[in-house]
Amino acid sequence: MNPIIQPPKPRSNSNKRELLFTFQSIIVTALLAFTTIAFFFYYDLPVVNGIKIIFAPFLSVVPLLFILSILRDLRQGFKEGNYTKDEIIKFCLITVGITLAFTGITYLLSEIKALEILLAAIMAILSAVFFLKSKIKDILGMSIITGIAEGIIVYMIFLF
Amino acid sequence: MQLKKLNTAFIVTTGVSVLVFIYLVFLGYDEIKTLKDVVKIIASILFPIPLLFFVRFLLIEHFLPQNTDEYKLKHQKPATILLVVSIVIGVASMQAVEWITGQKLEDHLIFAHLINSTTISSYVLNYILYNNLRVNGILSGVLLSLAIHVFL
Repeated sequence: MNPIIQPPKPRSNSNKRELLFTFQSIIVTALLAFTTIAFFFYYDLPVVNGIKIIFAPFLSVVPLLFILSILRDLRQGFKEGNYTKDEIIKFCLITVGITLAFTGITYLLSEIKALEILLAAIMAILSAVFFLKSKIKDILGMSIITGIAEGIIVYMIFLF
Repeated sequence: MQLKKLNTAFIVTTGVSVLVFIYLVFLGYDEIKTLKDVVKIIASILFPIPLLFFVRFLLIEHFLPQNTDEYKLKHQKPATILLVVSIVIGVASMQAVEWITGQKLEDHLIFAHLINSTTISSYVLNYILYNNLRVNGILSGVLLSLAIHVFL
């Protein structure tokens, strides 16, 4: 009838979920950068071998790009409707598990005594996050990323 | 339209909580001595934000109860009871922990920040988004008991 006054298309739930997922991965990236800076200044990490710092990121970025280019999307994408109670409980448990695991991993990172190794480790985690972000666009990816973020924070609050 | 409002509310919540935390950090400025303290405070400020995002991700379909008189009347009593109970439990448990460990909460500002930041952000989120009166009672109770505890 009147195509000019069409209401703007409402954004769907899966779009909003994707947006939240993107925000969460940005937060994780920021947290990883924050971790590197905190450890670098607090432990006074020495730079043992300058050339290694330049090549540290390639260790994980190159395989990441390769995998991203050859792999198809692993998951269906974000769901439109609600999650059931069982799913919510399951993914909350996964989040708690990943949180605990990442508290441990951050502890291991704090044991590293040279900047180039720390950088390589952080880049490896970052690559894993980007992999999740681009291929596992799902509640599973979201709970893993939330777990990583919370694990780093928990370590910083209670153990650092 | 309703959905758009909800998303705005979510962003406002995060913003307000961040502002409140920054204010709190400045209140405890004297306690900050080393880089470690700064890192810990930043971490305790950031603590609720990924959780908030995750909760929002799960509960994207809002279930906003109608804020009618009937709804309020029905939940008045349980909410008040929950408020009183959570104040009593909060104050008692904090006193108990202090008595057992022999340390004051004021000396461990991180924990105060942590409780505060988590409760305030969930409080504002609940108040704006879900409007669940019972949860409101519990969260108000926790905040009040923290305030009472620090004040006494």
